Amino acid sequence: MEELILQLKQEIIRVLNLEDVTPAGIADSAPLFGEGLGLDSIDALELIVLMEKRYGIKLKDPAQGREIFTSIRVMAEYIHANRTK
Amino acid sequence: MAKEIFVTGYGIASALGAGKEATLSALRERRTGIAPMRYLKTAHAEFPVGEVKMSNGEMMRALRIPEAAVATRTSLMGTIAVREALEHARIRGQSGLRVALISGVTVGGMDKTELYYLDFLENDTKNAYIAAHDCGACTEMIADYFGIFSAVQTISTACSSAANAIMRGAMLLSSGRADVAVAGGCECITKFHLNGFNTLMILDRKPCRPFDAHRAGLNLGEGAAYLVLEAEDTLRGRGAEPLCRLSGAANTCDAYHQTASSPNGEGAYLSMAKALEDARLTPKDVGYINAHGTGTENNDLSEGRAIQRVFGDSVPPVSSTKPFTGHTTSAAGGVEAVIALLALQHSFIPVNLNFEQPMPELAFTPAVTERPPVPLRHVLSNSFGFGGNDTSLIFSTL
Amino acid sequence: MSTTNDIYILAAKQISVQPPLTDEWLDDPLRYAAPYARAIDPDYRQHFAPNVARRLGKILKRALLTSRQVAAATGVTNPDAIITGTGLGCIENTEIFLNALVREGEELLTPTYFMQSTHNTISSLIAIDAGCRGYNSTYVHKGASFECALADAFAQLESRRIQTALVGAHDEMTPGYFTLLTRTGYLGRAAAGFSGEVALSMMLAAARRENALCRLRGVEMTYRPDSNALRQALLRLLQRAQCTLNDVDAVMTGVSGQQVNDQLYASVCTALFPRKPLLRYKHLFGEAYTASGLGVYAAAVCLSRQRIPAHLFAEHRRGEQRGVGHILFYSHAEGKNHSFILLSPCGK
Repeated sequence: MEELILQLKQEIIRVLNLEDVTPAGIADSAPLFGEGLGLDSIDALELIVLMEKRYGIKLKDPAQGREIFTSIRVMAEYIHANRTK
Repeated sequence: MAKEIFVTGYGIASALGAGKEATLSALRERRTGIAPMRYLKTAHAEFPVGEVKMSNGEMMRALRIPEAAVATRTSLMGTIAVREALEHARIRGQSGLRVALISGVTVGGMDKTELYYLDFLENDTKNAYIAAHDCGACTEMIADYFGIFSAVQTISTACSSAANAIMRGAMLLSSGRADVAVAGGCECITKFHLNGFNTLMILDRKPCRPFDAHRAGLNLGEGAAYLVLEAEDTLRGRGAEPLCRLSGAANTCDAYHQTASSPNGEGAYLSMAKALEDARLTPKDVGYINAHGTGTENNDLSEGRAIQRVFGDSVPPVSSTKPFTGHTTSAAGGVEAVIALLALQHSFIPVNLNFEQPMPELAFTPAVTERPPVPLRHVLSNSFGFGGNDTSLIFSTL
Repeated sequence: MSTTNDIYILAAKQISVQPPLTDEWLDDPLRYAAPYARAIDPDYRQHFAPNVARRLGKILKRALLTSRQVAAATGVTNPDAIITGTGLGCIENTEIFLNALVREGEELLTPTYFMQSTHNTISSLIAIDAGCRGYNSTYVHKGASFECALADAFAQLESRRIQTALVGAHDEMTPGYFTLLTRTGYLGRAAAGFSGEVALSMMLAAARRENALCRLRGVEMTYRPDSNALRQALLRLLQRAQCTLNDVDAVMTGVSGQQVNDQLYASVCTALFPRKPLLRYKHLFGEAYTASGLGVYAAAVCLSRQRIPAHLFAEHRRGEQRGVGHILFYSHAEGKNHSFILLSPCGK
């Protein structure tokens, strides 16, 4: 799980072009949207594609994404349980 | 308007057919133009679309353009609509008038670019389509078909492009920079923007349902529509008959987000309020609103709230005609201006198809009956684009 | 219709192949021999917070920074209109999305590049950044895009529909699109001249302010004119500005070293203003659809400083000129759209 969390942070930094952020700078349980990393609805759409591309998880509805993308840890747990690659 | 601006002709091509008669009968008979995809070749054929039911070859034959000529789907649709508009207004070559063409477009020649892009990069076989890619090229292809335009300009503000072109056309007349302005927009569906809208997850797999509680996105459409605008002196000078007036126009920016509208529709509120001010009208004068009404969760709520802010408890009949035509993007401001003009001239309300469930957040529901409560004298058309580019046009009887 | 106007260019800021955000090109211009040069970007990290800049491509960063700087320089932080001219818009983002579409198919595309591929992303970004809810428009018409934007702003200032306008000229040139425009002959194959990039923001106002660069006296455009119609357009411009050709000190054109382009300039200049000194700007800034924005900026700087450096003269014999009256700017876009712009010093 810790390995997945680190990998996920690196992926998010790359995909969302978070230039000045390091994996260590993202707390595992900090909120990704609003406060915390300050991501927005477009980032959520980017993360939906990331989930499919990297982990083979297809989310049909942006609302579903909102529940999963609450923190890195929640995301990693969801990926762990549902990944197809 | 600083100067009275008259509409003396218009032309349209959309999923409802080519020409104002086909458009009018489809609207009155409640026949949608949205159908399974037929012309666009894409992996996403699951989305219903409002295509112009003609192939490029058929459009070229209708325009007597040689088969081997370089043409893009957008410029062909634009040429068909401009030709109808000029014939309607009886504008011909050698008139001695300064005739301007102001066209709104965004994807331009992207239909060919996405087809030939690897050739563009690797060889010289498709160079003519490189030159046809940009928005200006699209307008020039239309202009050069007629050879009568002495000012040719292109506006690109995404889905409000055509409405802004109409507003700019009126300004050219009032500032004395042209005698006649042919203004509107054109856009064909491309894989590029179909996929773009799909990544934003705002395409509905079912027919779109604007202002419905269960709306789930938009259907893309394509088309072209242009108005012929003139000031009174030109009109009298050439003995032309005005059809109605462009009485007010305003463009504002929501200044909120590149793709989303603000929750309370600030930009939309301002564009409607300023257009009313420009027309020296009050909200109660407006008999019909042709809403932008894309059918996305965000637009319809934001626009609906803005309409309520402007019109209060007495919201006139409102409809989105995108369930008929699909969202014709850059052409939408022109297509919906023509629909608003047809409504005004024939005094009917184009109904909001596919409406079932009222939105809980709004006090009004969209129009589902054709008969206006009072004869129409002023109609308002909204067109909103990416980046919060909001434009409202008001058309009035003479 | 009023025939007098009082419209000023208050300030202008550029990012181009010349040193950014300065007027250093005036005395110490960089010279380019290569057919393709990219703009010299300032260090944007000094200007933007990381969360602001992370999604912005080059053209957007340049547009945002130049517009912020003219707003700061003039104190006009909420202009009545934001009007941009761009020949190709956000072509870098467009290419990224297009490449992914063409090479990788339609299944795993992402929204960011698409939503910032539309041409009006530039005007919108500036408006969102500054909270401007006024008129917001974008002209995309090849080599006449900037002139269209300027003409729109001018007409609205003239009628006093607006009091201030931020007008921009923005084009980036990616290696990919450079290849494409080399194929069509627009760039690259010329004997001389080079492809450049443009980011120019200028603030216009319908009233004079201290430190304004110059007056904008008129903008006149015409499409595919014959020689008579072109002359008529020039006369309309002069008449509206209540000037004659005698008032014009110099004519600035878009000669670039590209033969077809330059021949047309030569024949028009011979016919319309045979004895006027001719100025150039594309030897400094390169060719681009909105390069004319940098030309107008260069002319405005000369009017403000009241001198024209020797290197701006098309004829190399001339030395620096002190004292400058009216400058007429003439541009044609591949021989189709022709534009005249008249500038004069603040006092005149």
